[in-house]
Amino acid sequence: MTAIPLWVRRPAGERVGWLRTVDHKAIGVLYIGMGVAFFAVGGLEALLLRAQLATPEAGLVDPETFNQAFTVHGVTMILLAVVPLLVGFANYMVPLMIGAPDVAFPRLNALSFWLSLVGGVVLYFSFLAGGAPDTGWFSYAPLSERAFAPGTGVDYYILGLAVNGAGTIIGAINLSVTILLMRCPGMAISRVPLFVWMTLVTSVLILGAYPALTAALVMLLVDRQLSGHFFDPAGGGQAVLWQHLFWFFGHPEVYIMVLPAMGMISEVIPVFSRKPIFGYGFVAGSSVAIAFLSFGVWAHHMFAVGLGDTENAIFSATSMLIAIPTGVKIFNWIATMIGGRLRMTTAMLFAVGFIAMFVIGGLSGVSLAVVPIDLAVTDSYYVVAHLHYVLFGGTMLGIFAGAYYWFPKMTGRLLSERLGRWHFWLTFAGFNLTFLPQHWLGAVGMPRRVFTYAASTGWGPLNLISTIGAAILAIAMVVFFVNLVRSLRSGEIAGDDPWDAFTLEWSTTSPPPPENFATIPAVTGRRPLWDRKHPEARDKS
Amino acid sequence: MRPPADAIGTLALIVGVIASLIFIGVEAALVYAIWRYRASRNLAGQPATFERNRRLEIAWTAAPALILAAVFVLTLGTMAEINGAGVAPAMRIAATGHQWWWEFGYGGTKTANELHVPVNTPIDLDLTSVDVIHSFWVPELGPKMDMLPGTTNHLRVLARRAGSYEGQCAEFCGVEHAWMRIRVVAQSQAEFDSWLAAQAVPAVTQGGDGERVFFLSNICVNCHTVRGTAAAGTAGPDLTHVASRATIGAGVLPNDVARMRAWLADPQRYKPGSLMPRVPLSDADLDALAAYLGALK
Repeated sequence: MTAIPLWVRRPAGERVGWLRTVDHKAIGVLYIGMGVAFFAVGGLEALLLRAQLATPEAGLVDPETFNQAFTVHGVTMILLAVVPLLVGFANYMVPLMIGAPDVAFPRLNALSFWLSLVGGVVLYFSFLAGGAPDTGWFSYAPLSERAFAPGTGVDYYILGLAVNGAGTIIGAINLSVTILLMRCPGMAISRVPLFVWMTLVTSVLILGAYPALTAALVMLLVDRQLSGHFFDPAGGGQAVLWQHLFWFFGHPEVYIMVLPAMGMISEVIPVFSRKPIFGYGFVAGSSVAIAFLSFGVWAHHMFAVGLGDTENAIFSATSMLIAIPTGVKIFNWIATMIGGRLRMTTAMLFAVGFIAMFVIGGLSGVSLAVVPIDLAVTDSYYVVAHLHYVLFGGTMLGIFAGAYYWFPKMTGRLLSERLGRWHFWLTFAGFNLTFLPQHWLGAVGMPRRVFTYAASTGWGPLNLISTIGAAILAIAMVVFFVNLVRSLRSGEIAGDDPWDAFTLEWSTTSPPPPENFATIPAVTGRRPLWDRKHPEARDKS
Repeated sequence: MRPPADAIGTLALIVGVIASLIFIGVEAALVYAIWRYRASRNLAGQPATFERNRRLEIAWTAAPALILAAVFVLTLGTMAEINGAGVAPAMRIAATGHQWWWEFGYGGTKTANELHVPVNTPIDLDLTSVDVIHSFWVPELGPKMDMLPGTTNHLRVLARRAGSYEGQCAEFCGVEHAWMRIRVVAQSQAEFDSWLAAQAVPAVTQGGDGERVFFLSNICVNCHTVRGTAAAGTAGPDLTHVASRATIGAGVLPNDVARMRAWLADPQRYKPGSLMPRVPLSDADLDALAAYLGALK
């Protein structure tokens, strides 16, 4: 076990440090650091929202501040926390998992990280420049036009998201080229680990979806700064055009955030079940199906816009269709566990928690594909509950599973299992307490994005429960940060392969050397490390 | 026709039962797998090595597809039903969203924030907006529909129960989105007719000091109409019969003379960001103005 620091040495032995590094592992760590920092900031914004909503007609914050807080919370969590966290793990792990020394374009890799970060900084600079954007994370026109949003907040939103998006697009090109061209000998595309598969599918989704957002942002900038009329009905424009463009990006974005987390638990569950994944082909193939379908479901965000019954029926059908490949994965994970020997580590707890919670988000998602039900509950707290079951109950629990699983590889030390259990159960309790009651709040009439509500509505008690849940969730996150910091300093030494795992990243040191592998490995199956450790029971595929 | 809310309720019940069964089935399978195969039980033998079963996988792909196909057929039926299913509306009411209040038009008669409808009567709302996108939503009446500037959408409404229904704007529309509440009052046809007749007549004003303040420096009349007087502003709610309405500021305060006076003294205190500015008036002027508006029954 050699303890090689995370920063990279150039061939001459010169240390390049974090600012100039082009090593995929160091850039992965930078991405993850960015994600963790913005996750903390976005979490504090959420606590502010929940504190204000704990009681009816409260005056903790003024409406202007509240509207800025929920707008920035959404943008932060989606584009500055979740996506960087997922891209960070992909950056770090994909080359290791496919037996490559680095990504295809290391310098481009650094560029994508710094663009992503600068985009986030530009967005947050708006607070200093006279006020953050306050038009919601999807910033519907004409509310976001200069006539109704005269401040500079929306302009920082446009610039921040465009720059951040450029970084994400470049990163997706890099990762897809890496996966397609840099696999080690024997690593056929039908043998790559499922996390790599999901990263490939996600990268393709990013390449299709993000440019639509960039285009919409530029059009909005033209409207605001050059007196254009793309989205201004008074000038002959179309307010609904913004929604089409935004959701053409926005719905694939959901899968961009969910598929890599599904990839993470598709690594964790087999390793801790001591079995190969059940139905590798179905899990990979269903992701490709999701990717195709995800470009044809965007208007289910717009059923109440008045597109007409024909359009609504078509998008209802495609949205239901996408539930099928999603459901298949759930069955595959459970079948992987059946017949295994389950080691219920913290990583496995979070992976199982993903399945348990994502089912709820998936089923409420199907209910939103049913047009009449959607018309009743869309734009209400029901949708807030649904999207958090998908993005927190799903994606974030998956990321935590990945964090506990891969932390030892990245640092050489294990995270504490004792604190990990506290982290998991507090998260599980706090999460459900926060978001389960919101289904009811939405169904009885509480719209999303209200800074307060009349006492006569009777929504007070459930909101109070939700706020208490958010406080518990905050404590869970503090436990996680404590675990990170303490384990980084004094965690148990991990060794190369603490989980008796299957894939190539565990065949090198923890943390890996700058060149990843002393010699490029050659593989003959889907579980190369298993094959090496159990030559008598090699995988046949 | 059935009220749209009932049609949606039936569909939601069916979908809810199906979803609950799937939820219970999946969670039970998950809990069983953990309980049965946890390593801490020290099970004998090696873990299983199976990794595929084509038939099983095809089955669990096909089963959800069939369930969803059935749900889709039900969806199509309910979509047609909530749009009126060929039943012509007995009347149409124009509903227009403003930042942050509602205008309702019965022919030439305009009122604000309070939608009166005859009970058990199919009505179509013609929805539009003068500024940003709003969304008309009264949960007990069922579906919501967006109000877009430059476009008119339609929403079928049928109130089965006499009495009042509460709702509010569902599409984020700016700083006071939270205080853009709707009150629907469903009345018998006779009550509705007499209400509409009363709304249609011009105001019978008491004149005097209150009216003088109302027209002072064009402050109020720039934005508000009082039919029967020279006040014809259209930026704010029509005040011809403002005292007949239950709330002030689209739900932010109950409507009585004392609260009206407090509201007039400083609207920004109760609805910060509202487009109604704070106008410095003397106590005597405020008293007179509140009394004047309080008499506009």
